[in-house]
Order: sequence, then C-alpha cells, then structure tokens
Amino acid sequence: MELARLPISASQRGKLISAGYTSLSSLSSLSPSTLAQDLKISDNEALEILRVVSQGSRLDKPDGSHAIVNGAQTAWDMLHEEESLKCITTSCVDLDDILGGGIKCKEVTEIGGVPGIGKTQLGIQLAVNVQIPVNYGGLGGKAIYIDTEGSFMLERSLQIAEACIEDMSGNSDFLQKDFQSCQVKAQPKDFLQNIFYFRVCSYTEQIAMINYLDKFISEHKDVNVVIIDSVTFHFRQDFDDLALRTRLLSGMALKLMKLAKKFSLAVVLLNQVTTKHTEGSFQLTLALGDSWSHSCTNRVILYWNGDERYAYIDKSPSLRSASAPYSVTGKGIRTATSKCKRIKIM
Amino acid sequence: MIPQNLLQNPLALTTQKCTLGCPILDRCLAGGVPCNSITELVAESGSGKTQLCLQLVLSAQLPTSLGGLAASSLYIHSEFPFPSRRLQQLSQSFRSSYSHVLDSEYNPLDFVLVRGVQSADQLFDVLLKMDSVLLRPPTQLPVRLIVIDSIAALFRGEFENTPFDLKRRSSLFFKISGKLKALAERFGLAVVVTNQVVDFVGQAGGLNGLRVGNLGSLWSSGRRVCAALGLSWANCVNSRLFLSRNEEIVGEVTGLGGVGAGDTVSRLTRRHLHVIFAPHLPESSCEFVISREGVLGVER
Repeated sequence: MELARLPISASQRGKLISAGYTSLSSLSSLSPSTLAQDLKISDNEALEILRVVSQGSRLDKPDGSHAIVNGAQTAWDMLHEEESLKCITTSCVDLDDILGGGIKCKEVTEIGGVPGIGKTQLGIQLAVNVQIPVNYGGLGGKAIYIDTEGSFMLERSLQIAEACIEDMSGNSDFLQKDFQSCQVKAQPKDFLQNIFYFRVCSYTEQIAMINYLDKFISEHKDVNVVIIDSVTFHFRQDFDDLALRTRLLSGMALKLMKLAKKFSLAVVLLNQVTTKHTEGSFQLTLALGDSWSHSCTNRVILYWNGDERYAYIDKSPSLRSASAPYSVTGKGIRTATSKCKRIKIM
Repeated sequence: MIPQNLLQNPLALTTQKCTLGCPILDRCLAGGVPCNSITELVAESGSGKTQLCLQLVLSAQLPTSLGGLAASSLYIHSEFPFPSRRLQQLSQSFRSSYSHVLDSEYNPLDFVLVRGVQSADQLFDVLLKMDSVLLRPPTQLPVRLIVIDSIAALFRGEFENTPFDLKRRSSLFFKISGKLKALAERFGLAVVVTNQVVDFVGQAGGLNGLRVGNLGSLWSSGRRVCAALGLSWANCVNSRLFLSRNEEIVGEVTGLGGVGAGDTVSRLTRRHLHVIFAPHLPESSCEFVISREGVLGVER
C-alpha cells in the first residue's frame, strides 16, 4: 500500500511527503512525537496519522501485529526466555549462589569495592569463565575487556586461564571420558585470543568505545560479556559540570542496557568507592553519585569482613540481598576456604 | 577501534617489568616494576623510598636481557634537595657491578633527567609538556621510567581540610593519575610514585581504618599507620607497595641498661617490603637492607 492511498487529508499527505516520508515503512516505527515535530503538527494529529498508517499496513499483511505493540512480549514468554539464559560462573560457589547462578546475561551488573579487594581479579575471571565450553556447562563465548585504568595484567589472565583449564580437566573425570579430546585443544593462549582487549585513555574515548560496541558485537556475535574496568576512572577527572557528567553517564548506561538486551550478553561494570558527606558524617558509597545508582540492574559491593573478602548484593530486582565470602587465590576467584575449615572444626 | 592483540609477543606472555637491581626483590615483585601502570611506594620517612627510586633509575638503564628497560628515566622530585651525591655513590657501585655490559666511558648519571616541582599544579603542567620530551628524548636512550618522589609532599601542604579544597584535591589526583596512565600506556612507561604515611587515629573499622589491600593494618616504627592522601588517591594507582621499618632489640641488656643507655642495647632495624595490592601479585613480603651499594633483599 502506498502513501497516496492512505485515507488522510491532502494537506497532511503534502506535509508527509515534503518531510521525506514517502513510504509506509518509513512511518511504521516512528513515534508520534517525532512525527509531530517533523511535520509541525499537533501530537494528536500525528497519532491519528500513525493509527491510519498502521491500519493500512495491517490490511497489507493480515497476520502482522499492531505497530505500537511490535516487538512486545508477554511476561510469560520473558520468564521462559530468562530461564533458558545461561549465567557466567564466578568460580566461587557461594558467590554464584547469592547471584542466582552467576552473572546473568541480558543484565547490567555493577561491582564495586575498595582498591585491592579484587574487582579486577573478578573482571579477568569472568572474561576467562565466559569461554568455558558448552559441554562443561559454560557459554563458550568471547569477552570484551575495556580497560580504563591499566590494571589488566597479561600474566595474571594467563594464570587464571591455566587454572580454569586445570579445573575443567579435573571435572571431566567425573563426567565422561569423551572430553579428553577437548582437553588437548584448550590452551591458555586460546583463552587470551578470545578476550578482545581495549585500552581507553580518556572519557571521550570511553564514550566512543561504547558507541562503537554495537557495531563490533554485530561483527563478533559470539561475545557474551562486556567488562568495563572501571567505568569510573575517567569520569572522576576534571568534571566541573556535574550535570553534564550525569547526562553522559546515563546515556552510556542506556546504551549498555540496550546492548545487553539486543545481543543477550552480560555487561559488568566495575566501580570504585568514595566517601559521601551526609549530615556531618562520612559514609562509604560507590562512586558516580545517586543518579548513577539507577543505571544498573544489579549492584554488588565487595568488602572486607575481618580478614575475609565478602560480596554483598546491594540492589537487584530478582535477588534477595545476601552476602557471601569469596577469596582471591593464585588460581583466581575461588570459594573461601576458611568457611570449610570452620565446618571441619565444628 | 581494533582490540589490542594480547598475544603480540607469544614467547613472553607478561607485561614488561623494570628490575629493581636485586634478584630477591625482583622475585617478590615477579620481575620488578611493571610498565604501562602506576606503582606506588608507601612508607614513612627514612624507610628507603628514595633509595629504592634512585636504584630504579639506574637499573632501568640495563639492557632488557638483564631485566632493565634499556632506557633513561625522569626523576621528578618535590622534596628538596635532590640527593645527587647518593645517586653518584650508587652509580659508582652500579658501574663496577655491571662493568661487563657497560662501556668504560658510560656514565649512568647522563641518563637520569631530574626536574623539581613545588606544587601539584606545577606537576600537572610538567606532565602536560611531557609528550615532547618522550617523543624526542634529550638523551640517546628513550625515556621509559618516570619517578615522582614524592606525590604526598605536593598535596599535603597546599590543601586545607575543607570540603571545597578536598574536592579540588581529589579532582587533581584523578587528573594527574589519568595523564600519567595515558603517558604510561602510550610510551610503555613504568611509573613509580612515592607516598607518605599518616598515623592511624580512631577505631578499627572506622572510616580512617578502612582496610585497603592485603594487610589488615600497617605498622612501621611501632606505630599503626595508613597511606596518606586518602581513599580517592588509592583509586588512582594500580599497585601499592609498603616499606615498613621496625626496630628490634638484639643482644643482652646489662644491669644498668635502659632505653637511654645506647651502648648496652644493640638495636637492629628490620625493613620489609609488602605488596598491599597489585593486579598481578599475591600478598607477599620480603625483607631488605639498605647498604652503601643500594637496596638489597634478604633471603629468609
């Protein structure tokens, strides 16, 4: 069906054509407010045009759904989809437990903590673990690692990859003997090959990087996790205009959220902690301010409890708040051992 | 934008390091001070920060086969005067111990660029002008090491303890660290900064006692201390090392002996290097001594 056959007034048709809308498909995904702006007409009038357009296109394809609900899903479908999604294990049983299986795909997870608590270690661990092959219960995917601080260390990721391969071959004894062939294939170097590493040195580069991700991931569909270590660093330099910073950050968060949904991948943002001055006392909180705290689906805080490292779920729509110990070992992130010791003593 | 190839050098899958000039200390740090990142040395005065830095600017000149960077270095000092006599002394022992690789004409001091700065803003200005120095080094060797000794001296005097000044201070931290990291990445530099300590006041678990890194608490000279410049600066460095100094009484104390009777009590200063946090290192520590020849690790 063409524009000329639409039952709208001649003046509206003229406006549409002069604004460049010559086919029905160009109108199908348009919002009423955009059309109203482009045509300099009222919102109601624009909505009316779109309604006629969507009726027209429905006549064309009888089974086509309504334009406004296009792409919508029922909650039931979403639940099914969510259940079928795989999680990226953290290699720490307790941490996986409180996270509901690991870091979830399609979600943005923010992880914060004091320097030296193990944020980068967790980041590298996830970049390695996402590559665990499907027959070992992993995702068999690739990772994008965006390093803003220069803390990504080659030898450390190699160590973690070696330990991961060791663990996989250890587990395979319990499973089947068929996996022997996979074992021979898995090399620590292959793990490094599958980490797309980007080093960004300013906040402009960081924003450009995130804008570019869509294109990059379209070309590398097997990417299952994007790790930004840290999201904060460049945004804590030289920002006198805090309103601008908030706008840039929330724009960035929206894009990341969209990426996570579009490519069903996990986005992991590492954040720093700062002190917040409230009512005459100082409190510890994650950096980037209050409005940023809305930007992530899940928020995990890493902290010291005595001599043990703990993770705490600070915010999540589907997980209850809980905390669990973990430890950073030569092999990477692992289940805290002292907990086992305590049980033994008892 | 294309991702960096992590397997650029498939034979050596490590970040390049600059040797400290002592195999025992190098082992503790898995080869030395890493390039492309900032390493911080935290210690109270007289613990050997400057000694270690002076030794570094010499060992950076060693060829890569000996763990060095085959490069000259830039020493930015904020504590005056620059210890040039000590550097001269160290360079002589450096020349004699590496006489098999160094020319007889070789003078290590020719490859150390020294610059004094008096304020944090001046430091930032120096860093801004650094590109041209790094692109066209005034010496034959490229500059691959920057030492800032000390960062704390610049910040501890100038700023007041008001919210406005503290905010300005932490913004300057991130600016300086951002610039340093960008330079380190672009030119493959190893960056070493030194920091002072402050006495730990207040209760454990309070904000002051906020635990940063592997050690539950830092002790030096029998006092509990923490790194100066606070939490926001701790976010600006990649690795943090702590040099502690503790006096131990060794030998017999005779009848008249007391704290004042120095002759009867023999004391020994024991120095340790601790890894507080580092992306590539586990928690570890190593004892060292400072001698005429430099800073040397002690095998336990």
